[in-house]
Parts: sequence; C-alpha cells; structure tokens
Amino acid sequence: MTLEIPIKIFRYKAGDTAPHYDTFRVKVAEAANVLDAIEAAWAEHDRTLTFRHACHHASCGACAVRVNGVEKLPCITPVSEAWPGQGEMLIEPLRNFPIISDLVVDVAGFFQRMIASGLIITRTAESTLPLSAEPSGSVPQPVQIPDGLERLNRFESCVECGICISACPTMAATDKFFGPAGLAGIYRARQETGDRALATRLLELADGEHGVWRCHSAYECTEACPQDVDPAGAIMALRRELIGYRLKRLFGR
Amino acid sequence: MDTSRQFDRPQAPSWGWFWQAVTGIGLIVLLALHMIAHHFVVPEGLRNFQEVQDYLRTPIIVILEVLFLAAVVPHALLGVRAILFDLGLSERAEKRVSRALTVIGALTIGYGLWLTWTITQFK
Amino acid sequence: MATQPYQPSKLRRTLVWGDIRKRRLGMIAYVLNRITGIGLVVYLYLHLIILSMLAGGPGSWDPFVTLAKSPAFLALDVVLIAGWLIHGLNGVRVGLNGFGIGVRAQKAMFVGLMVVAVIGIAAMALAIFVKG
Repeated sequence: MTLEIPIKIFRYKAGDTAPHYDTFRVKVAEAANVLDAIEAAWAEHDRTLTFRHACHHASCGACAVRVNGVEKLPCITPVSEAWPGQGEMLIEPLRNFPIISDLVVDVAGFFQRMIASGLIITRTAESTLPLSAEPSGSVPQPVQIPDGLERLNRFESCVECGICISACPTMAATDKFFGPAGLAGIYRARQETGDRALATRLLELADGEHGVWRCHSAYECTEACPQDVDPAGAIMALRRELIGYRLKRLFGR
Repeated sequence: MDTSRQFDRPQAPSWGWFWQAVTGIGLIVLLALHMIAHHFVVPEGLRNFQEVQDYLRTPIIVILEVLFLAAVVPHALLGVRAILFDLGLSERAEKRVSRALTVIGALTIGYGLWLTWTITQFK
Repeated sequence: MATQPYQPSKLRRTLVWGDIRKRRLGMIAYVLNRITGIGLVVYLYLHLIILSMLAGGPGSWDPFVTLAKSPAFLALDVVLIAGWLIHGLNGVRVGLNGFGIGVRAQKAMFVGLMVVAVIGIAAMALAIFVKG
C-alpha cells in the first residue's frame, strides 16, 4: 500500500537571508522509513535538496535529523510512526550545528571533539591485517597496527550521529561545551586505554570548565541516543571519578 | 559549535558546580532549621522586634544564622552564574561575571552581618 | 567567497532551555529547578531588603509584622515554600546524580521527590492557615 505524505522540509542555501520551509507531497510504501520519504522528495520534486545518507541501517550515523521536532535517525524511523495520517511530517536539521545547506550541518567541531576525546581504540579481534607467522602450537598474534590506522576504529555503540548534541540544552547555550558524545567518548577511551598518562590527560580534559561540570543534568542526550550509549551516565560517572581524583591530589597521592 | 581546537590545550579545573553541591547539602539542614526557628517555634509564626532581639541573644542561634547566610548567598549566586554563563559569553566576560558576583556575594554577607549586629545593639 | 553557514541568533539559542515541547522528564526537572531558582534568588534579595526594617527598631518593624500576617501575604508564603521544596528536593536528586549515584533511576527519583514536595506544600499550607 502506498501512502501520500505531505513532508515539510527546512530549506537553506548559502546566500539566503533566512531559511524557509518547502512542503512536498511524496508517495512512499506504507512500510517505508522517513529517509525514503526524504529521498522521494529529492527524486521526484526538488533535486536541489541536500541531505546526508549512507548505510540506511543506523550504523553510520550520517542521516540524523529532527523529525517533528525530535532527533531521530530517519533510516530506521517508520513513516507510520512519524506521520499519524494527518498534518505534515516536519523534517529539520539537527540543532546546535551550523547549517551548511538544507539538512546538512557542519560537523567539523563535533569531530574535533571526538578526536580529542581519545577514542583511539584498536580492537585486535577486528584487525584485518595478516597474523604474524608463529610456530605451530602457539596462538597467532595480530601484527601491530601502524600508527594512524588505529584512529579509524571507534567505540562500539556510538555511531557519531550528533543526535545527543542536538538534544542537549547546554550545547544550545554555549559553543564551547565539549558535549555529551565527546564526554562519553572520554569515559569509554579511559576504560580502553592502557596508557595511564593519556587516561589522566583525558580526565583533566573532562574536568575543564567546558567539560562535565557544564552539564545541567537534562538527560536529553541519553533519551535521544538511538544506540543506548547513555552519555549522561558517562558524564555522571566521570564526575565521580573526578571527585576521587581531586581528593587524591588534595591529600598528596 | 566552536572549532578552535581549544581542547588540544590542558584545561583549568572548574569549581563552581562542586561548591553549588556542597552549599546545597548544607542548605537542606540550615534552611530547615531556619524555617523551624522562625515560624514553627513562634506562637504567631512571626516575631516582633523585641522577640527578634531576644532571639539573637543566644550565640548558637547567631552562629547558625550566619552559617545559613554563608551557604545561601554562594549557592544563589553560583546559580545566577550558571544561568549567565549559558548566555554564551566570551572567556573575558565570564571572568568579569565571576568577579562581579563574588563582590556582590561578599557585600551581601557583609550586609547580613552588619544587620545582625545592628539589631542586637538597638536600644 | 564562501558564505557563513546559518545558525539561529544568539538570543534564540539562549532561550532554548525554556522550550519544553517534546522534552522529557529530565529536562522538565532542569527547567523547573532553574525557574524556582530564579524565583528564590529574587525572593532572597527582597527578603534581605525587607529585613533592613529591623535596623529601624520596633517602630519600623512591628507594623510590617502585622502586614505579614494578612491572608495575601500568607498565600505568597505558600508559593515561596512550594518554590524551595521543589528546588531543594529536586536539588537532592541533581546532587546525587551528579556524583554518579542513581543515574539510571533519575526519572523515578524525580517523580517520587515531587510527590514528597506536593505533600510537603499541602502540609505547610495547612500549618500556615490553621495556625493563622
């Protein structure tokens, strides 16, 4: 069965004085997802519509937008959930990112934070490099992955979609907040890394004035996260670790 | 979102939230005591001037009231600071706000101490 | 040559915290704490200014006491009590969560503490208006 859905999309192109909204009537299958509707708007109505999409199954995080005011991955959000049969389905870009064009936002600041968070994790089990040649009877060891390649492997749950950044009220208020994704990344990186000096540096980064203490405990990040990362939990756990760290420093250990 | 790579630099630790929490814990007790002492122990719920003067004769009472003042003023002004910092201010502006609120806090506590002293000395 | 990307104005961004549409319980709690907090700071300074009448002795303070027992004033007192009960009890939750305690239970904590607050407000209102 096909549905005909009025989809109202945020539009902005470089040089416009202000954004506006366009409404298109798109035909999609009943079982379609919101991303299919966005693509139908592009394919059948306006080829100048720009949006990000890649894997279409919630593992790349590219397509994140706001659907009816709420952050979602449209590739896994059914239209039946997003459109109750009347009114318009509203599609807007994520909050708290500069908007480059239509639904595409500038994620440079976001990735600077993710890199600074230390998510340099190598899961040797996932290495695709050849195993070293060991004498038979012993367990073959993966070769050391060359520097730089490690940075491409990221922490399991987070797909770096930016939804938590959009949902966060502190991120709206101040440009400099490190943000839930980055802080959750710090928490995860500290669990994974064997480098004590790095772990301490990361903790001190979280301790900065733009770190964990700027969080206002709204918990919107955890509520909005499509991958159950629980950034708020990570932020609170980092606070606990920081109190312990500061007390130890106070008593000279 | 800021893209200045400021996170590549070491960060100075933040103390505001910590003192907010500590004074908050203190206030749970001190505010309860303040309410009980002023409204539930007094027959009509409010003291007239003479009753206030008599009330302030006990040293422990004065100490508790001063402690209450010393907890509520920082807690309140740290809250104001948090709200102001959410205006997305520059680093310099944030320092100015912190300094201004510290001065206001000191003046407020000073005023409270002066008032307590003046009441007890009134003839 | 490249034009700047679009961002909502600074004013709009500073007001985002007040928009609770489609927000969930944790954010409602945060907004409630901020609003009660602002109210309480205003009250604090009003209170301190009014207390200056004590410096004038019984002549300036005692007439105020009579006014403070009027029903309108007492009603405002209940509003004040509601403010600090909500702020204080939710503050306990924020403080505990902020030290890593009970984070997963934050929503249940909020509901439970607000129930306590409502009971407390009712009890105080009774005490005030019955005591007179």
